[in-house]
Amino acid sequence: MNRNLKWGGALFVYLFIIFFIHGCGTPEERAIKVPGSDSINTNAENVRPTGPELHVVEIKDMKFQPESLSVKRGDTIMWINHDMVTHCVTEEKTKAWTSSNIPANASWKMVFKNNADYFCAIHQVMKGKITVQ
Amino acid sequence: MKQFMKPAMAALVMSMLTIGNAYSQSSTPKLSDPEIASVAVVANQIDVDYAKIAKTKSKDADVLKFAQTMSDDHTAVIKQAVALVTKLGVTPKDNAVSQKLLSDAQKTKKQLSSKSGKAFDKAYIDNEVAYHKAVINAVENLLIPQSKNAELKKLLEDVVPTLKAHLAHAEMVQKEFSKK
Repeated sequence: MNRNLKWGGALFVYLFIIFFIHGCGTPEERAIKVPGSDSINTNAENVRPTGPELHVVEIKDMKFQPESLSVKRGDTIMWINHDMVTHCVTEEKTKAWTSSNIPANASWKMVFKNNADYFCAIHQVMKGKITVQ
Repeated sequence: MKQFMKPAMAALVMSMLTIGNAYSQSSTPKLSDPEIASVAVVANQIDVDYAKIAKTKSKDADVLKFAQTMSDDHTAVIKQAVALVTKLGVTPKDNAVSQKLLSDAQKTKKQLSSKSGKAFDKAYIDNEVAYHKAVINAVENLLIPQSKNAELKKLLEDVVPTLKAHLAHAEMVQKEFSKK
């Protein structure tokens, strides 16, 4: 009888310790233990630096800021017009592509695969340059 | 170093006195915010009017494009100015500067209307260069320093880069004409 009580007590203490350890982890610690989560995180870290990125060119005070931008092939560039007048973004030499009018507070974006010298066809002194690496 | 600094400082003080003198003389008009608002609207409307004449008289693609930009941009500036004075509850007030701008514009419009063809194109662009130079000078040295309301001052400051881009654009078209 005494022997049974002794083992029962030991089992109780053992179970208590097990529950104590598993129950007291922080949410972050527990999240790590979710099966498969480690491999998902690793994949995300591997993919992010090589995937397409979004770059922003601000149109402000009648200037493209930055005027010269270097991107990777397949990256997207977004122009945001902060001026009170309408602007556009147009390939300068052959007019190969154009945003058409970008009114005040509007934006326009395009995926870049080639280098480009561009300008605002409305205000022809406004110029910019895209270099694709 | 001190020997050099003395004449340099003297020259600086002298130039500051001269500039100060020029501004304290009666030739610089004193404008209230409602008067500044009037000058701003009138100055923009005058360039919209010049563009209107160019659109009916010119056949040159560069001139027509430039005139369209002037019409669109100065209309956009007027819209902003009207929105601001409406918000501030200010009524633009007629004044000597607005009247002088209008009477000068009346003469220029007559001269432009009397010309045609290449002579008109040249006269229009030459006037756009001169007019933008004059307006930039007035905005920077008269309207901005004298405006009391911070939002009015900010609007005028925001307009300066637009005026300067217009001037550079007009000078570019002017240069093309001299080659033709």
